[in-house]
Amino acid sequence: MDPSEVEFLAEKEVVKIIPNFSLDKIYLIGGDLGPFNPGLPVDVPVWLALNLKQRQKCRILPPEWMDVDKLEDVREMERKEESFTPPPSPYYMELTKLLLNHASDNIPKADEIRTLVKDIWDTRIAKLRLSADSFISQQEAHAKLDNLTLMEINTTRSFLLDSLNCMFKLRSNMQPGSGTGKALDY
Amino acid sequence: MPCERKPMRYGHSEGHTDVTYDDNGKFIVTCGSDGDVRIWESLDDDDPRSINVGEKAYSLALKKGKLVTAGSNNTVQIHTFPDGDPDGILTRFTTNATHVAFNHSGSRVAAGSSDFMVKVVEVSDSSQQKTLRGHDAPVLSVTFDPKDEFLASASCDGSVVVWKIEDQAQVTSWPVLQKSNDIGNAKSLCRLAWQPKTAKLLAVPVETRVQLYERDSWEHVSTLSDDMITQPINVVAWSPCGHFLAAGSVGGFLTVWNVESKLCVERQKHEKGYTVCGMAWHPSGSQMAYTDTEGCLGLLDALPSSSTNAPMKTNKAPVVKEANDYDDLFDEDDDRVMDEGLSESHSPAKHPVVGGDDDDDDDDDLMPTTGRAKNRGSFLDDENSLDTGSLKLGQEKYGDEEDAGSTIALPTGPSLPPRPVYDGPLPTPPQKPFQPGSTPSHLTHRFMMWNSVGIVRGYNDEQDNAVDVEFHDTAVHHAMHLTNALGHTIADLSQEAALLACPATDELASKLQCLHFSSWDANKEWIVDLPKGEDVRAVCLGQGWAAAATSALTLRLFSIGGVQKELFSLPGQVVSMAAHGEQLLIVYHRATGFDGEQALGVQLLQLGRRKRQVIHGEPLPLSVKSHLSWLGFTAEGTPCYVDSEGSVRMLNRSLGNTWTPVCNTRETCKGMSDHFWVVGVHENPQQLRCIPCKGSRYPPTLPRPAVAILPFKLPLCQTTTEKGQMEEQYWRSVVLQNHYDFLSSSGYEIDGDGQNRAQREQQELLMKMFALSCKLEREFRCMELAELMTQNVVTLAVRYASRSRRMALAQRLSELAMEKANQLQEEEEVEDQQEEEPQLPRCRYGQSEGASGRSNSRSHQAREEEHQEELEEEEGAPEMETDESAGENRKRLNPFARGAGGSPEKPSPKPIGKEGRVNPFKVLGSGKSPSTSGQSRVTNVLDSMTSVKRPSPLGGSSGKQNKGPVLKPLAPKPKTKTQSTLLQMATSKAANKKAQVNTEPAVDRLKQPEVPPPDLPVDDSENKKPRTGFQLWLEENRKSIVADSPDLQETEVIREAMGRFRSLSAEDRLSWTERAKGQSGDLADLKKRKRAEEVGGVDSQNGQMEADENIAKKKKPLDSTTKLSAFAFNKN
Repeated sequence: MDPSEVEFLAEKEVVKIIPNFSLDKIYLIGGDLGPFNPGLPVDVPVWLALNLKQRQKCRILPPEWMDVDKLEDVREMERKEESFTPPPSPYYMELTKLLLNHASDNIPKADEIRTLVKDIWDTRIAKLRLSADSFISQQEAHAKLDNLTLMEINTTRSFLLDSLNCMFKLRSNMQPGSGTGKALDY
Repeated sequence: MPCERKPMRYGHSEGHTDVTYDDNGKFIVTCGSDGDVRIWESLDDDDPRSINVGEKAYSLALKKGKLVTAGSNNTVQIHTFPDGDPDGILTRFTTNATHVAFNHSGSRVAAGSSDFMVKVVEVSDSSQQKTLRGHDAPVLSVTFDPKDEFLASASCDGSVVVWKIEDQAQVTSWPVLQKSNDIGNAKSLCRLAWQPKTAKLLAVPVETRVQLYERDSWEHVSTLSDDMITQPINVVAWSPCGHFLAAGSVGGFLTVWNVESKLCVERQKHEKGYTVCGMAWHPSGSQMAYTDTEGCLGLLDALPSSSTNAPMKTNKAPVVKEANDYDDLFDEDDDRVMDEGLSESHSPAKHPVVGGDDDDDDDDDLMPTTGRAKNRGSFLDDENSLDTGSLKLGQEKYGDEEDAGSTIALPTGPSLPPRPVYDGPLPTPPQKPFQPGSTPSHLTHRFMMWNSVGIVRGYNDEQDNAVDVEFHDTAVHHAMHLTNALGHTIADLSQEAALLACPATDELASKLQCLHFSSWDANKEWIVDLPKGEDVRAVCLGQGWAAAATSALTLRLFSIGGVQKELFSLPGQVVSMAAHGEQLLIVYHRATGFDGEQALGVQLLQLGRRKRQVIHGEPLPLSVKSHLSWLGFTAEGTPCYVDSEGSVRMLNRSLGNTWTPVCNTRETCKGMSDHFWVVGVHENPQQLRCIPCKGSRYPPTLPRPAVAILPFKLPLCQTTTEKGQMEEQYWRSVVLQNHYDFLSSSGYEIDGDGQNRAQREQQELLMKMFALSCKLEREFRCMELAELMTQNVVTLAVRYASRSRRMALAQRLSELAMEKANQLQEEEEVEDQQEEEPQLPRCRYGQSEGASGRSNSRSHQAREEEHQEELEEEEGAPEMETDESAGENRKRLNPFARGAGGSPEKPSPKPIGKEGRVNPFKVLGSGKSPSTSGQSRVTNVLDSMTSVKRPSPLGGSSGKQNKGPVLKPLAPKPKTKTQSTLLQMATSKAANKKAQVNTEPAVDRLKQPEVPPPDLPVDDSENKKPRTGFQLWLEENRKSIVADSPDLQETEVIREAMGRFRSLSAEDRLSWTERAKGQSGDLADLKKRKRAEEVGGVDSQNGQMEADENIAKKKKPLDSTTKLSAFAFNKN
């Protein structure tokens, strides 16, 4: 799974837009959207919001959590807590990226938000690395991590799994007796 | 001559300030904690020149083009005046200089500092300094002896010291002040002042008094005081003539004494009660400028000057006493009871044009939630305190003057008449005109209009005075940006145009500018000047026209292209206007409101081809102590408004143009100070579009607010209960459905689906409520609900009632259903008559729909009944009961029965019982699917109707009972009969045969059981005749009608009937009697034949139906069956 796939999934998230056109309900497989009334907020998936935004057909209202004060709180929490705190949104990173890249003019204090989300992201990734490190160094068999978002898991997955595999091989090679079979296997 | 207190204006940012005049009094010069020195040409100077002298400026002195300031950078600087070029540093201290002063000639400057020193510096040569040491604390102030010999200084160590400048030595020292450790902690700034010219007296503010010390003897010679001054005096200043001494105190009291008489000449209070920290007399002595610690600058004008000195002495008292009106009174001396609120509420009235006005309004408008009421409360309080204050005032005056040892006689003392105190209701200041959907005009960034079309924003700041027009739907037009050169403050926006208006200025007349962007020619704009002296107060845009209400109480109509059209006068000053399509809604001041209420009137005009006034200036209902905050139309065209308490009201056209509250936005607010700013109302779907404003009444322009949607909620009682909820839903649906009628009647397209949906919803709700009250055993309430239902829903209700074993209810309901059915028919007939004129297609559509629905439901019901019968047959005994009661039902079915009976006659149980009992047997015996018992049980409206098809062919339903009556028909009877029927016909508009037939059989049925055998035969005959010959009956009926009142009936029909009757008259009687007999025979057979008849009937019915299709279309199938029966008779 690569990040673009995760982003694709994030595009299903619902966001409010204010359209500047009028359109009846549209009926899609994923559900009905609309009706679109100019000036009235309406819920649409991010992919549509971005599409409309790019065509200058709407204004995007930032999600509730995309607010400097709230994100500052989250950041503080994240820094304070040892474990992972619940993220502001399961797709916070993706949505921030998408919305700020395409609709930063509709989001007040976009730069601050970008920084804050990056801070939160960095903190969480650091935690993730730390826990991976302790997981490996303590040679644990399993570990439990709550409140990880898909994107976060995705960033660490390939590396962690590969390295674990590799380490396993190395270790099994080091152990005489059982080593031969594994080595062959490899 | 009371002086005039000009309203305060903003001068510097908050903090210590100082003020002085330049030598010839042309400029007022102030300095403040923002480090600026401002040069004002007058108090109204909107663009004072600023000179920056440092981070902060503590004090300034100005003489001979030299501006000396004490700043925070420990220096005393010189700037040239009025150019403001830096001219070097006069002297330095180790810490802040606190006060600077020029000597009389302007050759020397004295400066006091926080490092306990006082320096005297030659302006021309700053190296020539004299340092006066001796204070033990920061120096508060310094002042020169006008003769340049001495210098006085006050310090935080509590002493006031007089120095001999040449010797740099203390001459004397008075420890009169309170000690403190720093300037900031000192109670008073203790600005000293030496009497100019004579230089005889030194004024020292000590606490709340001013002590005067004599030169040379340095003795305390007198004290000036005033009872009004309750807080320490900060500043004293001599008038240039030296006769008057002014003092300004902490808490904002300003007092002027005549020093010789020691009398207080003027008393003023700072309008907001801020501490006065700087004060200066105009060189002419007629004006005095003062500044406060909040950075504001004020002015007292028309002060007693030296020239008027002599008369003043004698006139002083009269001046005070003669003040006979409120205004003078409180301009002259503000009573201490009065607080800021009073002066606030007062000053705008006095100076409506000056800046202060705006400030007051700001407070008012921006006041959160409770702001309005609170403000008003304080306003009222003030008024009251004013009254009491004004009474006290006189006494205090006397006291003051006597205290001061005045020897002046008070000749006018007794002339002060005791003013009657008015403590009745006080008038409310009338609400200012506004555009619905705009934020207050004093905001620099504001919404000039936010409506369903778009947004007009106004910017009015230093860089830009512009108007932005933006459309919600970019398909209407692209956004526009206009420079607002004319200073437009009023705007409206529609799909066709944007309308802007500006008030008149000194040079320019009030203008109306229209950007007609939908115009197809190249000229997209027009401007109209209003006549001189007339200001636009409100504008609105309708479809193809524009309206402007002006200050001259005139409403001017324009076409959208700029053609002037009608104009008319308004009954009062306009508050707001709104337009939709061809409708124009105007709200104006009807009268003066009292005790916080506004007295508003409303006019609704229709400006289409047929111009008329729909609402003729009726009072507009508002919540208690509120004002109008939004006015407009729903998207569907129903007038609607919102008051400041958040209550949304909508015109209820179906209830005599009354206003129904449909929502209260305040209920949905989270915080007390949150508001919803309404921008639009929609009835279908039910939406109140508004912008949530946290902690304010109005939204800011940035960040761009988002629209939220509120639901409607009628303020019905107990909406927490299920019943209340459903009632609320029902009535909301009813109220919000009114627009369909209006739209269709004014020729607009309507959303038929939406209307049907709404009606269905209403009926469903009624049914639910019905079920609920049924459960609660509230049968009477059930009836009441049923009265609101349509006929076919009533039948459902009947079924529900009978199923839940509420027979009494079911009976009544079926009566009701019958009634409704009749009504419906009547209406249909009326429509038939009116068919030629296709007047209300909508209505007809609805009805035909209803009719078909009815038939559907009926057939559906019939099926259901069958089902039920089968079940009930198995039940046995209980079924009998139901049959009986059903019989009762049937009896009461008919409205006539009710009319005749008045009191519900108990049916003799026998016949019914028989019928009931007989039926089940028959059903069982025949084994055919539709059991008679079922039918009898079902006897509700519909079934009675289906059974109607039988009576004619069958004659009577139960032979035995009918026999007695059958004997009756005598030749002469017809007449009596016709009479009685006539009445019935009249009621049901007998023009239509079928209708008559329809009801008649029902009557028969009912009457039969009612009339016990022993009854008088005559009565019976009457009852019976209808039963026997329908055809004749009708003909006769017509005849009699013709005889009685030809006008009532359709003449054609009547004449036809007449002709027939006459032609048939010979045979008539014969056939009549025959029929009577035949019927009795038929009646006996009724039961047996029933089924066969039905089948046959249905067939023939169908045939008939086809034949009569045109007519039958609208009628229920029932009608066709009766027709059929009539047909059968004819054959007979």
